[in-house]
Amino acid sequence: MTSEPRRLDVSPYLRRQPVTLALLTGLAVVFFLAVSALARIHDAQRESLAERWAQRGVDNLDVQQFKSAVEDFRTALLYSRDNPAYRLSLAEALMGLKRDDEAQAYLVNLWEREPENGLISLELARIAASKNDTEQALRYYHNAIYGTWPADAEAQRRKTRLELIAYLMRINARPQAEAELIDLAAAVGENPAEQEQLGRMFASDGDYQRALAAFRASLRLQHHDAAAMAGAGAAAYQLGRYVEAERFLEEALAANPGDADVAQRLKRTDYVLHWDPFRQGLGQDEQNHIALAAFAAAGARLETCKTPDAQEQQFEQQWTKLRPRMTERGLERNPDLVNTAMNLVFPIEKETAGTCGAQTETDQALLLVASLHQED
Amino acid sequence: MAPRDAFNPLRVWRSVFREDRYFLVLSVFIGIFSGLSVVLFRFAIDWCSLYLLGTGAPSRERLLLAPALTGLLIAVLVIHFFPQSRGSGVNQTKAALYIYNGYIPLRTAIGKFITAALAIGSGQSLGPEDPSLQIGAALASTIGRKLRLSRDNMRLIAPVGAAAGLAAAFNAPIAAVLFVIEEVIGRWTAGILGSVVLSAVSSVVVMRGFMGPEPLFRIPPVELQRPSELIAYSILGIGGGLASVAFSSGIATLRPIFRQMSLWTQYLQPAVAGLIIGVIAVLGAPQVMGAGYVYIDEAMHGQFTWQFLAILALLKILATLVSFVSGTPGGMFAPTLFIGAMLGASVGGVEHMLYPHLSWSPGTFALVGMGVLFAGFLRCPMTSVFMVLEVSGNYSIILPVIIANTIAYFISRALQPTAIFDALSRQDGLELPSMEEQREESILRVEDAMELPTDPVLSAEDSVDRAARIAAQAKHDALLVRLRPSGWSTIRKSELKSLLDAGKGLQTLESVLGEEPDPVPSLHPDLPLDTALRYVDRWPVVPVVNRANLKELEGVITQRDVLERYRDFGEE
Repeated sequence: MTSEPRRLDVSPYLRRQPVTLALLTGLAVVFFLAVSALARIHDAQRESLAERWAQRGVDNLDVQQFKSAVEDFRTALLYSRDNPAYRLSLAEALMGLKRDDEAQAYLVNLWEREPENGLISLELARIAASKNDTEQALRYYHNAIYGTWPADAEAQRRKTRLELIAYLMRINARPQAEAELIDLAAAVGENPAEQEQLGRMFASDGDYQRALAAFRASLRLQHHDAAAMAGAGAAAYQLGRYVEAERFLEEALAANPGDADVAQRLKRTDYVLHWDPFRQGLGQDEQNHIALAAFAAAGARLETCKTPDAQEQQFEQQWTKLRPRMTERGLERNPDLVNTAMNLVFPIEKETAGTCGAQTETDQALLLVASLHQED
Repeated sequence: MAPRDAFNPLRVWRSVFREDRYFLVLSVFIGIFSGLSVVLFRFAIDWCSLYLLGTGAPSRERLLLAPALTGLLIAVLVIHFFPQSRGSGVNQTKAALYIYNGYIPLRTAIGKFITAALAIGSGQSLGPEDPSLQIGAALASTIGRKLRLSRDNMRLIAPVGAAAGLAAAFNAPIAAVLFVIEEVIGRWTAGILGSVVLSAVSSVVVMRGFMGPEPLFRIPPVELQRPSELIAYSILGIGGGLASVAFSSGIATLRPIFRQMSLWTQYLQPAVAGLIIGVIAVLGAPQVMGAGYVYIDEAMHGQFTWQFLAILALLKILATLVSFVSGTPGGMFAPTLFIGAMLGASVGGVEHMLYPHLSWSPGTFALVGMGVLFAGFLRCPMTSVFMVLEVSGNYSIILPVIIANTIAYFISRALQPTAIFDALSRQDGLELPSMEEQREESILRVEDAMELPTDPVLSAEDSVDRAARIAAQAKHDALLVRLRPSGWSTIRKSELKSLLDAGKGLQTLESVLGEEPDPVPSLHPDLPLDTALRYVDRWPVVPVVNRANLKELEGVITQRDVLERYRDFGEE
């Protein structure tokens, strides 16, 4: 007996489950497309609202209406929750309201997402600096310097380093400031404003040599910048390069006649130059004349600054002994007497400045001349 | 004839479409549909909020009128068109599972979608998670009905959809799966777990596709620096437990009172609730409006003082209380998280004020606070822990979370014996199984009913004659026979007597029991007593053996022992 092969009824499987799955797939696709269309409308609407509120925030931020700006950016973030630019702007607005803790919360959150972002690090550094948290401030400043910037990265990094240097100087971290300044000098290129700022930084750090070089670099790029000329003049003055200082200061004053500081410094420079008998280009008569006047001023100084100090008494004796020879004729006969006289004048001025303080402008000028030539 | 194990495409086809596997595939579809529905629901809430409250800071008039007038509309919709949309979605899903064979009308989902979107969008202090859960469950139930699934699968399909809806709403699949298992289904099996996980994961994938992968909150760095900080978290647990009791007692007490009021007041209740919330907003706390996720996020990032945080926690309890008891559709998950976050950050702020030298993170306290309220108010201790871990993505806070949640849970249980979901279902006239009570229920085990083996054990080699002599001394009617090389059988005294009468006294028991004696299954002392019930009516006596040594008889159990133990347990 041959058995009939067993036929399985496959129709329920073919008809039902695969078909329902296919139907469900089709429905899911249709549903998905419908939701996608609505999502596009929804997202576009929210994005537009976010942009509108963010723009209002930016406008308020520009006019320093920080409170309104905070509200605006908060609303913008309602519609675009994770927009880092809005968050950053909100943090800036909060910083404007001195709500540093809140701002920091936003910034730290942003920083965790983008630790390489220079701008976020810079804002965090500013907050840390305002809280006197030096360790964090330095950390974030350095993050900012070595971080990424959306545009003009090198310039932003230099500006950040300048800000860091200013901060280091404020907290009297001079060695660190100097190191940063030297790094910065290597990075600053053909930017007159930055060169000028660098010059000011070096000057405030007491490094007048580098300051003068930076001011000169700035002036090379922008010839008639009054501030750079004033800075160069001040640096040259501090370096005792009074002729150069005079030239810079005169130009600075010509460019900005109302600058009282420059005028005052120029006056002092002129005075120093006037009292310097060893200045290049002086004729013998002029040199003798200055030496005689300086010798007389030193004598007057000894007269007004009488102390029982043995050194001063010795100076008085030397001055009295030299006085008969200190005539125009005596100087003409013996030109070396100028050196002898000035070698007495300089210590007298220094000594009396130590005991009685500098009194007249002449004395001040002679002190500067003394420091200039005695260093030599 | 083809060999039996040859490749048979039909068999493969059948295997693929076996109902349990088919159900798993369906779970994925349910997840996709639920995810898409929840995305739509979120859009609807956003649009309602935008058009009802406007963009930016709303004016006073809007703050007062939008929730109140929308409340009137919601009342009309709920009373006349969608009466099922009020009430807890969790309980309705449980009712579908335990009472209605998985049936949830699609109309309920539509009603919940519309009314909850209006309510949350207009500023009522409610959240979107519970409606999302119910929308998912109703969609799943509809799909199940259309596909004519078996009754067992129909019962399970609503929780599968609920998990998908909740996972999409929370953007947290693990917490959603645990919640549904812990609070709705109440048991773990591979089949249920697989379906629930698949639906939750697929819905979250869909949700993230549309709304982005970001969690609900931006989680700040969270850490526990000193063990002594656990004291502060313990205090948070106590505070959270008390707040949970106040919140749940308020709902449990006020809800029936409001529901028993005359019909015309039912029209006004959501409007009055909206007005109260509007007044709170006008007075300076607009943060209590809506779900409040934005403000949870801000609290986590230290945007509020501890005093304001504490005020917000109290006001949110009040606002949610009036919204919920007024019958406005919406969920309590988001308000619970809000209250917890505010309370947590506030406790953290106080700690920081008292001990400023200790480093503190408001985010950590807010996160732990959320878990605390979840454990204390919703009474889901396990979900509460995993929810915080999943949301934070940081396991370093597990210690404070466990400590604070446990304290809050025990305080809540001690002061409010009935969990909020159970209280709500009983108010609605449904006697749904309480998952909390089930968890706490003591289980009877075999060792509670078994007797020590007083009767001798016969050996398969014993003769019938010897066995009959031994049996004469025995207490029970039946005796155990130890088979060779292993296993057990039984023989009654009457059977032995019959064998003796038939002249088989010299034969061994092995021979009279046959070559394949009906072996008696052995039990172990730790097995649930229910297991014994399956055997004791078939065999007069069942051996209870040691798990480490199956030959060591620890006791015997009979049907009578089992029934007596159950009777005594009922009397206890």
